[in-house]
Amino acid sequence: MAQQNNFGSTPAQREQFFISLYKKAFPKVAGYVGKMGGSFDEAKDIFQDALVIYYEKLTTGSFELHVNEQAYLLGISRHLWSKKFKENVQQTDLDAAFDAIETKVQEPSSARLMHYLETAGAKCMEILKAFYYDNLPVNTIATLFGYSGTRSATVQKYKCMEKVRETIKEKSLAYEDFIE
Amino acid sequence: MNEIKLIDDHLFGVLDPADALLFDAMLILDNTLPEKIVWQQNTHATIQQYSRKKLKAEIEDAHQQLFSKPQHQRFRQKILSLFFNR
Repeated sequence: MAQQNNFGSTPAQREQFFISLYKKAFPKVAGYVGKMGGSFDEAKDIFQDALVIYYEKLTTGSFELHVNEQAYLLGISRHLWSKKFKENVQQTDLDAAFDAIETKVQEPSSARLMHYLETAGAKCMEILKAFYYDNLPVNTIATLFGYSGTRSATVQKYKCMEKVRETIKEKSLAYEDFIE
Repeated sequence: MNEIKLIDDHLFGVLDPADALLFDAMLILDNTLPEKIVWQQNTHATIQQYSRKKLKAEIEDAHQQLFSKPQHQRFRQKILSLFFNR
């Protein structure tokens, strides 16, 4: 699953990667959204979502780029724009009201859990992110997190998985009681 | 530790035939296993949610660099002129 990538493995390297993609593709995307009557903030939101999609495609390795990056990002952005536009037209006030209720019910527990994981569980979450989301090679992860070798990094991955799984279980049950 | 890896391989569909048999046997013998599978699946969803949030923050940092640092001024003007000089 892990592969060589062109976006780097540290936040600073990824930032450079995103800046270069911005320079390559954002002018076209902004031009398109602007032409369609969208605002700067809408162009920004759509482009940033397109970057997330592109990043996830690259990291899962399930993807070969047949066109250039600029054309690909413009393609996703156009798709996201038309989806957003249709949703805006179709969504009645009643739908919007229901959505608002649903979000309110779901958010308290997940937001609290996420906050807990971002603070108390940050170290494990960063390791798990590197393994499962960024799909970095295990030797890169060992170096990044200061482990002596790939074996100790892998052991730590499963330890963290177990720890976070227990935390999620405990906190989910506790927050459920709290809501009821 | 091994159990965590087995559940992962089961969730990702990459168990080899011998481990798949072992896993089926474990499912029969250990009635806490189905629950662990569900929580592990849940954990993967949470890792994705956490990671996306972090990635979006990194992308936003890149955006802020481009729209505030002097060396990107020409780029910034080119984009803003698409919206504000119409």
